[in-house]
Amino acid sequence: MDLIMNSYVIELAWIVGKIMLVVGPLLIAVAYLTLAERRVIGFMQLRKGPNVVGPFGMFQPFADALKLMAKETILPAGANKVVFMFAPMLTFILALVAWAVIPFGEGLVIADINVGILYLFAISSLGVYGVIMAGWASNSKYAFLGALRSAAQMVSYEVSMGLVIINVLICVGSLNLTAIVEAQRGMWFALPLLPMFIVFFISTLAETNRAPFDLPEGESELVAGYFVEYSSMSFALFFLGEYANMILMSGMTTVLFLGGWLPPFDIWPLNIVPGPLWFILKVMLLLFVFLWVRATTPRYRYDQLMRLGWKIFLPFSLIWVVLTSGFLLWTDNLPAVMAG
Amino acid sequence: MFAFQMADIMPALPEIFLAGIALVLVLVAAYGGETPRSARRVTRIAMGGILITLALVVNGDPLASRAFGGMFSADSFAIYMKVLVLLGTFAALGMSLRSDGDSDINKPEYSLLVLLALVGMMLMISADNLMALYMGVELQSLPLYVVAAMRTNSLRSSEAGLKYFLLGALSSGMLLYGASLVYGVAGTTDFAGIAEAISGRDMPTVFIIGMVFMISGLAFKVSAAPFHMWTPDVYEGSPTLVTALFAIAPKVAAISLLLRLSYGAFGSIADQWQQVLIALSVGSMVIGALGAIMQTDIKRMMAYSSIAHMGYALAGLAAGTVAGVTGVMIYMTGYVFMGAGTFAIILLMRRDGAEATRITDLQGLSRTHPLLALGLLVMMFSMAGIPPLAGFFGKWYVFLAAVEAGLVPLAVIGVVMSVIGAFYYLRIIRLMYFEDTDSPLDSKIPMANRVVLGASLAVILLFFAGIAGLLAAADSAAVALIVLG
Amino acid sequence: MGVENPVPELLHEYLPIAVFFAIAVGLAIAMVSASLLLGNQRPDDEKMTAYECGFDAFDDSRRQFDVRFYLVAILFIIFDLEVAFLFPWAVSLGGIGVFGFWSMMLFLAVLTIGFVYEWKKGALEWE
Repeated sequence: MDLIMNSYVIELAWIVGKIMLVVGPLLIAVAYLTLAERRVIGFMQLRKGPNVVGPFGMFQPFADALKLMAKETILPAGANKVVFMFAPMLTFILALVAWAVIPFGEGLVIADINVGILYLFAISSLGVYGVIMAGWASNSKYAFLGALRSAAQMVSYEVSMGLVIINVLICVGSLNLTAIVEAQRGMWFALPLLPMFIVFFISTLAETNRAPFDLPEGESELVAGYFVEYSSMSFALFFLGEYANMILMSGMTTVLFLGGWLPPFDIWPLNIVPGPLWFILKVMLLLFVFLWVRATTPRYRYDQLMRLGWKIFLPFSLIWVVLTSGFLLWTDNLPAVMAG
Repeated sequence: MFAFQMADIMPALPEIFLAGIALVLVLVAAYGGETPRSARRVTRIAMGGILITLALVVNGDPLASRAFGGMFSADSFAIYMKVLVLLGTFAALGMSLRSDGDSDINKPEYSLLVLLALVGMMLMISADNLMALYMGVELQSLPLYVVAAMRTNSLRSSEAGLKYFLLGALSSGMLLYGASLVYGVAGTTDFAGIAEAISGRDMPTVFIIGMVFMISGLAFKVSAAPFHMWTPDVYEGSPTLVTALFAIAPKVAAISLLLRLSYGAFGSIADQWQQVLIALSVGSMVIGALGAIMQTDIKRMMAYSSIAHMGYALAGLAAGTVAGVTGVMIYMTGYVFMGAGTFAIILLMRRDGAEATRITDLQGLSRTHPLLALGLLVMMFSMAGIPPLAGFFGKWYVFLAAVEAGLVPLAVIGVVMSVIGAFYYLRIIRLMYFEDTDSPLDSKIPMANRVVLGASLAVILLFFAGIAGLLAAADSAAVALIVLG
Repeated sequence: MGVENPVPELLHEYLPIAVFFAIAVGLAIAMVSASLLLGNQRPDDEKMTAYECGFDAFDDSRRQFDVRFYLVAILFIIFDLEVAFLFPWAVSLGGIGVFGFWSMMLFLAVLTIGFVYEWKKGALEWE
């Protein structure tokens, strides 16, 4: 009995350790992503950005975190208190738990479930609930309108994201993320499915409410969108959740299109670099593009945004599903179905 | 394993063709705009499609009738019922083709939705599997909810649509829940498989509950009491053209499905569902006959009248014999033509272009429109069951089957209720012939209504001449349903 | 080992996710309550009003809004369901072959007709 208990405890500790190994660096990455955003955009706009707190402003995110922590948590009088407090927590929790299935390297994954991509897709779609709940519970016009816009936008782009994922799945024949990465050993899917890669990346911009699709938060019209009323740590949780989502979406793009932890070419010296490093490099590259896009593009109008999602991306990715499946079937290149 | 065989879908060719027409019409409706002209074009194409489908149905081979791996059965019973449904829908659509028509119904979507509902009805008639059953029921119901609420600027129409939808959803839930219980016990969704699984063993209560749930869900679709509550409101609130459709076609499909389910899947435990059906039948006859007496609106009255008719039809169903099925089929034949003819006249009840559907609006019809009055007289006599009209034969064979099956009290109640029912049919005749009016109804009679009325009158008046042929056809269809399964 | 008893194997796979959930929930609660404890909490009436341009809000903010948002939600359900149908099809396409391919094409064709209809009817317009 003791032995069994012990083996359970050890296993649990091992799981918790692995999770901590992901969550810790993730939160730090989020912190530095905020700094990187301000610095990168600063340089692109010929400003310096925050550079006072610590060398190159390295401690800025921690100063921000401490400041937010010490602020007063304001509960608006007209708000639904419980929902109001729960919404940012939900956003944050979802942004974290999605990482459970992301493979950082060969076998380096917390839960190697065989429906990984479905889990990822499901968790990232749940994100819209945090937004809706925040907008509804705040009982403020700006928050309400922001939440409506945001929800409509997120669900619109989710459809084309789903169809793009289908394209990849046709080429892989499995829902397992490790299998998806392994299938790209010869060639990353970004090349044969280049148009889908672009659609997917733009959709992730819309899904994370990033520029040029940051209408829900459009400062000039809606002040800050669905989190107008938030302050202190609740605000920080939204912020963390949103940036963690950006990293997650980049990770998802990496797994689906950029070969996950695989090196670009299986040749020396590229193949002696550890897999997780490749993964992190690719994610960082994508995140840089996120920031680059924000510094470069003006904001979309709402009708343009919906047009792009429903009238361009949706038919386009649907046609591509037909083309991909038809081509693979015709050339007899479909992946064999795994037994079981 | 996934080999595709033409023979596996050929029996469903009429449905596939009709669904294809409906899909083409979606595009025609999308590109044609919302003009009445576009609406008429869609309706014409739909009617043409129905005619071709009718030819395909009649030409179907009842011996090679299984499609989709046995989920779909186009036997001679299905052919008989489908002809009725197709004719009824054809008539209902034809009467919507008028230039001065109701602008709300004059949308291209109307015929389109009716066509989709028609595919659903045909699927219901042919369903030989719980999944096909549910698919048919939903495909039939969803478009009908929409057309009930088609007159978007009328509160009553919206209410009718919403009421129909909510109660319809409830009944679908009951049906589905019952189906899941039945499937849970039988281990198959196939009707024949269910029959095989339950024959000769004691049925667990769960199965009986599931069966009752399923019958109740379908009883809603045929608007049998006590699941009739929606009928009067929906009949009254819907645009009259839609009411005409409701009164003619969907009931036939629902009754067919009930027949196929109770005889096909639950055939070996007839004694169990017989009581349920007897209760439904008696309730419908009583509520239909008594409820209709108090109505002042003719559409409401027709609603109660149809509840009563369903009660009579269910009496034949409850008999549980080949004769019972034959009776129901004869009854439904008469019902379709009586409904079409009566509504061809109700649709003409307009005064200065506005609908006038109170029963008293018929006062003095014999003076102002003698031919119409005569037509309605025949319809009412037939509904009351006066020989030698169609309604009489329907009742005769249904009650005969009930008596033969030993359900004498049921037949007696049926006859008594027919007599009570005759009262309100005769009241209309009295209003038309023995009252006078100073505000006559509009005199314009569109061609479509003339044709429908004329055809229905011909069928009803000449029913006695063709009864032998009909009986033979219905009999062989009933045998196909019960014996050949 | 997992063949005779697949359920614990499945649970075993999902256990880390459950643990992850627990940790994430714990972390979120800890962060919020830490700030509640550390920060000064001095609410007053003005602070607790909804954000507005210097005046009190006229009425409740939960009011009628554009019906197009509903439309988007409905369209989303339709197309997301379609995607849900596509998932199993996509991973098993190698096994179901030409018949499977054409079955799905038929389904997609029907859906595309519906899509064309809603496009032509202006359900996707936001101007």
